[in-house]
Amino acid sequence: MVMRLDTFQTLADPTRRRIVETLRQGERQVNDIVEQAGIHQSGVSRHLRILHESGFVSVRPDGQRRLYSLRREPFHELEEWLAQYHALWEARLDRFGAALEQRQKKQRGQTHE
Amino acid sequence: MSEKKNVVIERTYKARVEELWELWTTKDGFASWWGPQGFRVEVKALEAKLGGLLHYDMIADAPEVVEQMKKLGQPLSHETRGTFSEFKPHQRLALTHIIDFLPGVKPYDSTMVLELFPSGSSVRMVITLTPMHDAQTTQMQVEGFTSQLSKLDKRFLG
Repeated sequence: MVMRLDTFQTLADPTRRRIVETLRQGERQVNDIVEQAGIHQSGVSRHLRILHESGFVSVRPDGQRRLYSLRREPFHELEEWLAQYHALWEARLDRFGAALEQRQKKQRGQTHE
Repeated sequence: MSEKKNVVIERTYKARVEELWELWTTKDGFASWWGPQGFRVEVKALEAKLGGLLHYDMIADAPEVVEQMKKLGQPLSHETRGTFSEFKPHQRLALTHIIDFLPGVKPYDSTMVLELFPSGSSVRMVITLTPMHDAQTTQMQVEGFTSQLSKLDKRFLG
């Protein structure tokens, strides 16, 4: 429950979503993220810190630079979360099918009335 | 999460298209399947026409659900309103729900489209949920449609 809350709150911010989308193209350093994501320099390190803390990005040093890349774990989590809702719809349509069968049986019973 | 893809769910039933249509557009038909597991639906109004009102209560029914709702301090009955924003008998309808039960969230509409494609003795039923524009709203919308448990949103929204 706690993990899920973090995942959605992390992505609720449009700037962070842009950072994540930029990182889909591969590992980047801060300056490139700022440029390619078309975001303001200010606040970018705070967003990257939040993304790092919530497990969305990993960071590794490369000389003087720090390189950021995406981690797959939170995306698996998102997929699993969505799958539950798909499962709910499947259950709903199971009931739809059952209700349909019942009505069909009833109608067949009434055919000779 | 940024791709604005629709969620599409489909099934094929051995039935006449009229039979499927009735399950969506009559009071007892709709009530016979809509409510999520553990809930029953009491339909107060269902106006089967373009712009027609759909008004129903979702009522916790199963003991474990009742207990869970009580534990979360949530009401056992939840009033829901929608309208048929498209209505082409036996072919297509759009059901727009008014999501006005999320604490701290301005009311918004969310729409699902039903399409029926008859073929021989079966009908393919396709349901399309229209996503909203960001992850958090999509989450709430999917939730509104699938479980209608406004209860969970509180937890997600903190």
